[in-house]
Amino acid sequence: MKRRKFLTVGSTALAISLVPLSLSAVNFRESSPQTWEASSSVDAIKELYGSSDGIAGIIKLKAPKLAENGASIPLNIKSKIDLESISVFQDANPRSAVAVFSVPQGSVVDFDLRIKMKKTANITVVGKGRDGKLYKTVQKVNVSIGGCGGGS
Amino acid sequence: MKVKAKARGNTVKVKAMFKSAMMGKEEAAKKKMQASFITHIVAKVNGRIVYEVSTGPFISKNPLFKFKFTGASKGEQLEITTTDNRGKQETKLTKIK
Repeated sequence: MKRRKFLTVGSTALAISLVPLSLSAVNFRESSPQTWEASSSVDAIKELYGSSDGIAGIIKLKAPKLAENGASIPLNIKSKIDLESISVFQDANPRSAVAVFSVPQGSVVDFDLRIKMKKTANITVVGKGRDGKLYKTVQKVNVSIGGCGGGS
Repeated sequence: MKVKAKARGNTVKVKAMFKSAMMGKEEAAKKKMQASFITHIVAKVNGRIVYEVSTGPFISKNPLFKFKFTGASKGEQLEITTTDNRGKQETKLTKIK
């Protein structure tokens, strides 16, 4: 009897610990596969959020104006408002979507990453707040040597 | 995978470097190799997700990610899991310093 009781307690504890994990983890490649196939950033944003308009100037994007090497362009994304997800798009490569961050509640939005760009183009960062509003920041980056498989 | 996690006050700063060619379809066809890139990265502390990103092939080769989060202290374990486009998973535990 004791062993059975122990087993049930164990399994319910396991179930409880597993449920919130699966709820908060969002793999955007599985939840919106169309986003990753879109060639322009406007289409990709529409696939992901339903609209491509956003409030400008809230999300801060730090990117070089002139990137010497298109294979590695450092980006820094910062925001002080409570966001649900942030995504990065560019118009230089065959497909537009680069990365989609899902922001867990109460965490700090301060992300660094490096991306590849074939030619000079705009980088678009879109964030979705927990209230459903969209925020959008666009910056142009000049690329002198292309990054996708050597110069072209 | 190389990971450094440092706690200062309430926030933890993390630098994570992953080994991956990050080759998309087009690049792989040029080099006559199979496409290979990381698609998903998750970081957890005590089972709580602190960082999550879905990525495409246009992140630089051997990508470096930096991020910050709150609510963890020195000595706790940071667990980072990556998944690549062929479904291969890799997990690493790091102690927060």
